[in-house]
Amino acid sequence: MAMTPDGPDVVTGLGVGPEDDPQTIPDQPGRAPSSLVAAGAADLMAPIVVTNTLWTSASAGAYASTAPAFTHLRELAHDELANADTARWGQLEVIPTKADLLVDLIRMNSLWPLLSGLACCAIEMMSAATSKNDMDRWGMFPFRASPRQADVLIVAGTLTTKMAGPLVRLWEQMPEPKWCVAMGDCTCSGGRYKRSYSTIEGIDRLMPVDVYVPGCPPRPEGLIYGMMKLGQLVKERRGQWPDRPIAPNVPEDV
Amino acid sequence: MTTHAPMGQHASEDDPRIMLDNQIGAFEAVPPYPPRTEREAEFYSLRDGEMFLNMGPQHPSTHGVLRVVLKINGEQVVDLDPVLGYLHRGVEKLCETSDYHHIISQVDPLEYVSSLFMEWAPVMAFEKLLDVRVPRRAEYIRVLTGELLRVSSHALFQGWMALDLGGLTPILYSFIERDEIVEMLAAITGQRMLFNYFRIGGVNGDLNHEFMSRLGDWMSRAAKQHEASIGLLNENEIFVRRMRGIGKLDKDTALRMAVTGPNLRAAGVPFDVRRAHPYSVYPELEFDIPVRGTRDGGDSLDRYLLRLDEVKESIRIIDQCLHNMPDGPVMARLPRLLRPRPGRAWAAVEAPRGLYGTYAISDGTDQPFRMKIHDPSFVNMQLVGMLMKGNLIADTMAVMASIDPVMGGIDK
Amino acid sequence: MDRLLRRRLEARFADKLTGPVRQRHDETELRIGAADLTEVMTALHDEPDLDFAVLADLAGVDTGNQMQVTYHLWSATTPDWLRVIADGLPRDNPRIATLTGLWPGAEWMERETYDMFGIIFEGNRDLRRIYMPPDYTSFPLRKDFYLADDAARSPGGGVRHMEQTHAPSQATERVVRRTVKA
Repeated sequence: MAMTPDGPDVVTGLGVGPEDDPQTIPDQPGRAPSSLVAAGAADLMAPIVVTNTLWTSASAGAYASTAPAFTHLRELAHDELANADTARWGQLEVIPTKADLLVDLIRMNSLWPLLSGLACCAIEMMSAATSKNDMDRWGMFPFRASPRQADVLIVAGTLTTKMAGPLVRLWEQMPEPKWCVAMGDCTCSGGRYKRSYSTIEGIDRLMPVDVYVPGCPPRPEGLIYGMMKLGQLVKERRGQWPDRPIAPNVPEDV
Repeated sequence: MTTHAPMGQHASEDDPRIMLDNQIGAFEAVPPYPPRTEREAEFYSLRDGEMFLNMGPQHPSTHGVLRVVLKINGEQVVDLDPVLGYLHRGVEKLCETSDYHHIISQVDPLEYVSSLFMEWAPVMAFEKLLDVRVPRRAEYIRVLTGELLRVSSHALFQGWMALDLGGLTPILYSFIERDEIVEMLAAITGQRMLFNYFRIGGVNGDLNHEFMSRLGDWMSRAAKQHEASIGLLNENEIFVRRMRGIGKLDKDTALRMAVTGPNLRAAGVPFDVRRAHPYSVYPELEFDIPVRGTRDGGDSLDRYLLRLDEVKESIRIIDQCLHNMPDGPVMARLPRLLRPRPGRAWAAVEAPRGLYGTYAISDGTDQPFRMKIHDPSFVNMQLVGMLMKGNLIADTMAVMASIDPVMGGIDK
Repeated sequence: MDRLLRRRLEARFADKLTGPVRQRHDETELRIGAADLTEVMTALHDEPDLDFAVLADLAGVDTGNQMQVTYHLWSATTPDWLRVIADGLPRDNPRIATLTGLWPGAEWMERETYDMFGIIFEGNRDLRRIYMPPDYTSFPLRKDFYLADDAARSPGGGVRHMEQTHAPSQATERVVRRTVKA
C-alpha cells in the first residue's frame, strides 16, 4: 500500500463538528467563520496612493519608483535605478568628503546587531555581549529583535534548510546599509554538519557575507576581532557591496 | 492582466484599497494545505474572536529557533502549537557513519550549554558495549566537571528566566558566573564550549595546575555567590508574582508526559537518575535530591527555586569530589580501532534538563548501527502546549523559560 | 542484572515473547511482536508489582530487513532498565499501536520516529512531521537513505582508516593483529 508521507488520512475538512459546517451557518458574530481564507474580491477599487512631496532629489535616478526586489544580486549592481547609492560606493573618482567620513564613523561605531542566534555560537555571542567581553564598548550592545532596526546580521549557529527561508527573509527585511557576519564553522562552510541532509553548507550560498569568523565556537574575543574587522570595512568602504557574490567561497570538491 | 496596482505590489484581499508589498516567501502561520491530523484540525480552526499569532523562529527569547503558533482570544492564549525542526542537523544519521570516537564530538552541540553530559551518556553506552571499566579517577573527574557544568547551566537558566520576563540585568551576572566556570574547564579541555573531553574509557587529560587554582578560587566564593544569586531575584515582587501560579504541573501529569529532570522534581516526583539508577561514582557521594510541589504540584516559581537548590547540592558534590579524588590513570587502555561485539546498550545520565539517554546498537563494525539520542528538552517541550492554556501571551515566556529548553537538543 | 525480574517477566508474558529475556549489565530486554504492544505496555504500567512509571525513551530502528520500535522504561521495583523491543514491522508498511494512551508524552517521540522512519503509530492524534519541513518526502534515518559522504569524495579520501568502514568480513587477520597491538 502506498506510504504517503503526509500521514494517516484522518481528517479531510477543516471543521471538527456540525457547527463548523460552512454551508449552513452564515458569517455572523457569535458563529464560526465560514472559512479561513477569504474569497477573492469581486471588483477592485482604485488604490489610494500618496505621492512623496516632502523631499525630492535633484537626480532623477536617485529614488527608484519601486523598491528593488533584491539588492544583493550581481545583475542589479550596475543598475542605477536599483542601487541608488552606487555612485558613492567604491568608485575612485569620487573623493569622500568629511561628511562621508563622519557618516562612516557613525555607522562603524554603532553597528546594531540583529538577534540571530541559532545554535551554540549564540551562547558565545551572548558571552561576547555581556560583562566580561563587552561588545558595548564598540557600540554594539542593543541586540535588536526587529530586523528593521538592525545593521548587522550576525548569523551564529547552524543554518538548516527549514530555517533558510526565514533567515533570508530577515536579511531582506533589513534596510540598507547592512552587513553580514558569518560566525562559526557551520555558517562559514557547513562545518561539522557538511555531510548532513538538512543543513546549508555555509550561509554565503544564500546571502553576501562580509566577515567570516571561524571557530567551533569562536571565542568571544574572536567574534570581537571579527566585528572590529567589520568596523574597518565599514569605515574604508572597502566592502564588497554591491559586488558581493553570493556563492560558496570554497571550491566544490574541498 | 491589467490591475490598478503598481509593479511590485498587490491589493489586499481583505480591503482592496490597501496595497501590500509582494510576499517574498510566504510564511503563513496557518499551513497552506488542509489539516492532515486530528490535532492539526483542532488547532487550526478558529472560533469567533480567536486569531493566530506567530512567534516566529527568530524572536528575542534566547532559547533558540523555535516557532510557536499561538491561538489567542484577546490576550489569552487558547492553544499553542510549537513547530520544531529549525535546528535539525541530522546528528543521528551522522553518528551512524562516524566512528565511536568521532561520535563524542558529534553529540556535543546537542545541549550546548551542558555538553559534557551530552558526551557522558554515549560514552557510558559504548563502555557497556565494549565491557570497559573506567578508572576511578576518571569517574571522579567526570563527576566533578559534570557538576561544575550543571552549576553553569543553572546559572544561565536563571539569567534567561529573568531575560524572558524582561529583566536585562541578571543575564549579565549569569554570564559572569558561566564565564568563570567555563574558563576553568577550558584549562583542562581546551575549549569553552563543546568540550570533547570525555573518552571511551575515561577522560582526555588529567587535571592541571591552572584548573585546580581556578577551582580553588571559585570554591572559596561559591557558597557566597550562591547566596547572592538567590538574593538577586527571589524577593523581587514582579518576578515572583509573574511566576507564581503559572504553569502548574502535578505529579501524575508529569509522569504521564514522560517529563524528567527539574521539571519532574518540581512537580513532586523525587526521580533523579543519579539516585534512581546510580551510575559512575554517585553511590559513594552524599547529596540530597531537592523536590518541590509534593502536595499538589509545582508552578514556574517552584521550578526556578528547585534549580537553585540543585546548585547547592552540586557545590556539595564538587567539594566531596575534591576531597576524595583518588590517584590513578584517567583513561583505560583501549585499542585505537574500536569494534565492539554486536549488541545493544542503553545508558542514561541526569543532565541539567532531565534524563539524557543514549541507545546504541553495534553491528560489529567500527561505526554504530543505530545511535538514538533521547533528549530531555524534547519531551519537556510538550509541557508548554499543555501548561499554557488560559494564560496570557506574556506568560508563554515565563512557562517556556521555566521549562528550560535548549533547541540544540530538541532539534538534534 | 536482576534475575528475579527476568523470571517474573518470563512468567507473566510467556505467550507474548518472541525471544528469550536477555540481560546484560544493568538492562533487561524483552522482545514482543508489534501486535501485543498495547497489552504488554498496559500490564507493565498498571500492575503494582511491575509499576514501570517512567518512559525513558522511544526509538525506531531500521534493521535493514524490518523495522523495530524500542522502548526503555524505569520502575522503582527493579534496579534494571527495561527495554521492550517491538519488532517484526514490515519495511514497506510499518504500523504499530500508539503509546499515547498510557503516556501522552510519547506523542512527540512517536512523531519523531514517524518523521525519521515512516513508522505509523495508529491512534496518535498528531502524526505529522516534526523535524523536516511538512512537504519533505523521504525518511532520513532509513537504511536506504544515503548521506553524501564528503570524506570519501575528497582528494584525501580513503587514506586514513577512519574513512573506510571495516565490515567484519573485510577485517583480515593483518588488520586484527595490528589493531590489537596498537
